[in-house]
Amino acid sequence: MWDDLVRKLARYPSVVLTVVGADGYPYSVRCVPVPDASRKVFRMMLPGYVAAQAGPAGLLGHFHDDALWNQTNVVASGTLEPDGEAWVFRATRHIEGAGAGMSAFRQLRGGRAAAQRYLDRRGLPWPQIPWAKLHAIYARARSSGRG
Amino acid sequence: MTTFQVPPDVAAVLHRFRTAELTTIGKDGTPATWPVTVVYQEDRGEFLTSTSIGFPQKAVNIERNPRVSMLFSEPRASGLGNPPAVLVQGDAVAGELTALEGVEEVWEKVYRFQPAAKWSTWGPMQWAMGRWYCARIPIRIVPTRILWWPNADFALEPREVSHVG
Repeated sequence: MWDDLVRKLARYPSVVLTVVGADGYPYSVRCVPVPDASRKVFRMMLPGYVAAQAGPAGLLGHFHDDALWNQTNVVASGTLEPDGEAWVFRATRHIEGAGAGMSAFRQLRGGRAAAQRYLDRRGLPWPQIPWAKLHAIYARARSSGRG
Repeated sequence: MTTFQVPPDVAAVLHRFRTAELTTIGKDGTPATWPVTVVYQEDRGEFLTSTSIGFPQKAVNIERNPRVSMLFSEPRASGLGNPPAVLVQGDAVAGELTALEGVEEVWEKVYRFQPAAKWSTWGPMQWAMGRWYCARIPIRIVPTRILWWPNADFALEPREVSHVG
């Protein structure tokens, strides 16, 4: 898992680190995690104003092109720990989202199954998507000329 | 009616960035962050996004813990030169499943910025993917705090928009 996550995060010049503040709200900043292979952690410096505390944390690396397409992302969950003047993130799991090759097919298949479970648990029928209205929104959005 | 005003360059970020990094908090307290397209409803001072019922975890997390944040830190394709980064913290509500009503603005923003989104709602893909992908859970976020970093310089302490929350 470690090597795989190092390789995937290396695709991104910076990633989003999120911690949960003392007030209970998530707090995110951009940072550049440096892998420490000997300890299998990512080391990073955080600005002093970030009220980081040891505990649950997450990393997100993501990319989209100018047309919001060719998206890639990787999400890691783990813990943040103080390490001298720096912090270390220790990942416990990670998953890839959109644009992950064969993984994307699995996600599409998994998405449909998850949707069915969502409906079954609530006793809901499949909703009827108003395709014509959706297509009209597309036409309106594409003709608005606002990028 | 909103009670706060964001600086114009912050408003531009909220409107023009293609994605925001939305964090919800899982059952064990671990934050999970995913990129989403968000609509800033300036007149209401609120934010609207949605998730497919095929990826319902964000909504499940919000039902358990409404505290969320959105970091706007990816300026690609926004057309903005040296924009700030913006962090919105707030309380979210996950609504009822909808086929379209209530999330029209989200689709309009996605279609405006992502022309290829058409493929998931037309032709064969409409049936292979569209039905579950377009069945959405609206997520409405009322901000409690908005911070911003001029020039997206995270080394400096952020500024705070006043009278939020």
